[in-house]
Amino acid sequence: MRDRIQEALKRSKADYTEIRIEEKETTRVVFRGKELETANANIDKGGIVRCLIRDKGWGVTTFNNLDDLLTKVDQAYQCAQVGTVPEPIELALVEPVEQITTAEMKRDFRDITLAEKKALAERYNQVLLGHSDKIIDTQSVYSDVFTHLVLANSEGTYIEQEKPSVMVAAFATTRDGDNVQQAYESLADTRGYEYVLDKDELVRKAAQKAVDLLEAKPVKAGQYTVVADQMLAGVFIHEAFGHLSEADFVYENPKAREMMTMGRRFGRDILNVFDDGSIPDQRGTTLYDDEGTPARRNWLIREGDLVGRLHSRQTAAKMGESASGNARAMNYRFAPIVRMTNTAIDNGATSFEDMIKDIELGIYACDAYGGQTQLENFSFSSGYAYMIRNGKIAEMVKDVILSGNLFSTLENIDAIGNDFKWLNTGGGCGKGNQFPLPVGMGSPHIRIQNVVIGGE
Amino acid sequence: MDILKLLKQQAEQVEVLNLQDEKTTVEYEANQLKTCTVAETKGTAVRVIRKGQLGFAASTGDTVMEKLAANALESASYGDAAPFSFPGSQPAPNVCTFDQTIADMPIARLVEIGKEILDLILPVEPEARCNIALERSIVSASICNDKGLDVSFKNSPLSLSVEINRVEGDDVLILYDQVGTTIWEKDYLEFARRLVEKLIRARTITSIKSGKMPVLFAPSGTLAFGLPLSEGLNGKAVYKGTSPIAAKIGERLFDEKITVMDDGTIDGKFASACYDDEGVPRRRNILVEKGVLKSFIYDLKTAAQSGVESTGNASRGLFNPPSPSLTNFIIEPGETALKDMLAGIDEGILVEDLLGLGQGNIISGAFSNPLALAFKIEKGEIVGRVKDLSIAGNIYELLKNVGAVSKEAHWVYSTFYAPYVLIPEMNVAGRS
Repeated sequence: MRDRIQEALKRSKADYTEIRIEEKETTRVVFRGKELETANANIDKGGIVRCLIRDKGWGVTTFNNLDDLLTKVDQAYQCAQVGTVPEPIELALVEPVEQITTAEMKRDFRDITLAEKKALAERYNQVLLGHSDKIIDTQSVYSDVFTHLVLANSEGTYIEQEKPSVMVAAFATTRDGDNVQQAYESLADTRGYEYVLDKDELVRKAAQKAVDLLEAKPVKAGQYTVVADQMLAGVFIHEAFGHLSEADFVYENPKAREMMTMGRRFGRDILNVFDDGSIPDQRGTTLYDDEGTPARRNWLIREGDLVGRLHSRQTAAKMGESASGNARAMNYRFAPIVRMTNTAIDNGATSFEDMIKDIELGIYACDAYGGQTQLENFSFSSGYAYMIRNGKIAEMVKDVILSGNLFSTLENIDAIGNDFKWLNTGGGCGKGNQFPLPVGMGSPHIRIQNVVIGGE
Repeated sequence: MDILKLLKQQAEQVEVLNLQDEKTTVEYEANQLKTCTVAETKGTAVRVIRKGQLGFAASTGDTVMEKLAANALESASYGDAAPFSFPGSQPAPNVCTFDQTIADMPIARLVEIGKEILDLILPVEPEARCNIALERSIVSASICNDKGLDVSFKNSPLSLSVEINRVEGDDVLILYDQVGTTIWEKDYLEFARRLVEKLIRARTITSIKSGKMPVLFAPSGTLAFGLPLSEGLNGKAVYKGTSPIAAKIGERLFDEKITVMDDGTIDGKFASACYDDEGVPRRRNILVEKGVLKSFIYDLKTAAQSGVESTGNASRGLFNPPSPSLTNFIIEPGETALKDMLAGIDEGILVEDLLGLGQGNIISGAFSNPLALAFKIEKGEIVGRVKDLSIAGNIYELLKNVGAVSKEAHWVYSTFYAPYVLIPEMNVAGRS
């Protein structure tokens, strides 16, 4: 295969050509309620060719039939002829690399039978079902994905990577009359099958949350001091700020560039934010991105000031900066675009007790149910939350939806915890129509003043 | 060897889906024509029922059929009980989903349509940055099973989507719309003209005092009702008991001005076809009639579990087994002219887009969202854009009292058709 790829690259007439071949084997087991809903294995194999003609544009072909790469390269070249960019497209320089990496799993999930994986999901489902008679529906998911990826380009890069991923998730739905509540927990790992074993406690937590939420009162709308747990803070920094630091949003838009000027004050001195694809074994870890740029730590906010952004080779060249290792594609059906890897608020100095002790009336918001941002504006649902009364955690409340303006909210972060952690959940990030891309998120607890909480 | 034959020797029931898709996409990024893509997909998915248990497997490319068959049989050996049978062939409505004009459309024509869209937007708003995707596919699919069912489809979907970014200081305005059709439409730029109208309207920024007021939902804003309803009407949620309306067939849910339908038989619409993805004829399902709940939507499995017939709503991707899904989702237009609805509002808001729709516990009917795009209505006139507002409510409460439903309606995101809906009084929250 390597010879055929390199031959096709050599014969390309484009200024730059890139070929990515991917083979993905997926196993998925889903129990829902008392029934097994899914137990299957799928194979997805295909490729993508990307050609650049500098003074025209990009041409892309994606395909399942890998027999005739030469034709695919030629087709992509023809596609690139269609573009009419006013200025030539340049790519930031990246040293060509030749590297072949293999995955090292302690227990390789490909050696585990479907029967055993099914038994694991079934056991977690039993934990959910047996937890309370208020639980009317469950979902217990096991899935694993093993990806073999080849990336080569006309500059001499040739990288083979293996990417394993294994995940369990537990969803519980409870009902009391018209009151229906849901809660979930998930855990993902890249290191092997044993990391999803013995997770009864985690699964029970989802069940108990769904039961507790039945008793919770809806939160009263208003402005509150909010303490966010690591999960919600991690999702917040990813959604509300991370997407703005993706350079494809600003590189063709002078007005947006002004808004994201380096050095602009974004928060207080305590606020530090980074994206880093090189941290071992995290969900968004990608040693080389899908253009072959090595991962590195990119500081985005340092001591409250905007100091960096995330790039592909194209956005970096256009802005006179260097490629940051953030050009990623969900699979062979897509060209890479600027994406986050593992994004985090760096550890701070405040203990959780100190953070809440002076709050007379506030909200401790945990977990993220979902979130959306439209650049400066964001909206997030927390999975569950508690009132903070007189410096103490009080009753549980539900339907806590935080919304606000990014700039004022970041300025309003006035305490950062000393309890940083990476979140190993199984979710992913969506951008354009590429969803879900595995990303990592991390944060300590944070405290935010004056957050608008919606509600009736 | 033919995989249907191969598997018939080892299982009681077999279904084979073959899918082939060739998609051409032309993309403008920040007003510039930058990328052109040709994407080909080819794959096979099989379902088997062996010893009463259901199995599924799928693959792309030229995976050896023996391996695919083995995966499906292994899946069945752990699979759940299949309470249904694959269907034999049945007469289906004649639904048009293929147009040679679209199939033959050269890349140059897609490029030209993109240019026409830019020519509508940029003269009005030179600072706008538009990302435009023009996508044309030719899809062939076939489903055959052990009962002798052998149906094939050919689709020619064309989709045009536009995202407009306009940044002024720290004010970021983002507008998005998308239309899709499988039959060439003469007035293919109508959606773009609507976007331009919104852009012009959004220039004036004004403010409104928060509190209780009439709220007029534009067709795109009614997704706030459509999304929870689409989950509540789904036969799977009904069977599992998670739908809040599971036991309410025949009951009055909403104001009698509200009628809701699912119609997979409209010529040229994205979710239309003669057959659903299990080979059951597609049809028109009245879900809520004059406020009264009439029906849910089902595929073969959820129908069998619930003791009813499939409503022709099976939907699947190559790598997922079928599940019930709405086709074209329609809130029926009403009797009142939009201008009369506006005229009756002394002070209120028009909701175009909500932020974060679909997050939270949506099946309960509850929503709470910031408004991404909303306008103030004053003495019957739309006077300017209002920012930093949010609304919350539960559709099963709100839609019990509807002020009016407009005659005017249009398609939103290809498969949702809705009018303007007026809620006489709702709490609108402001920031600070």
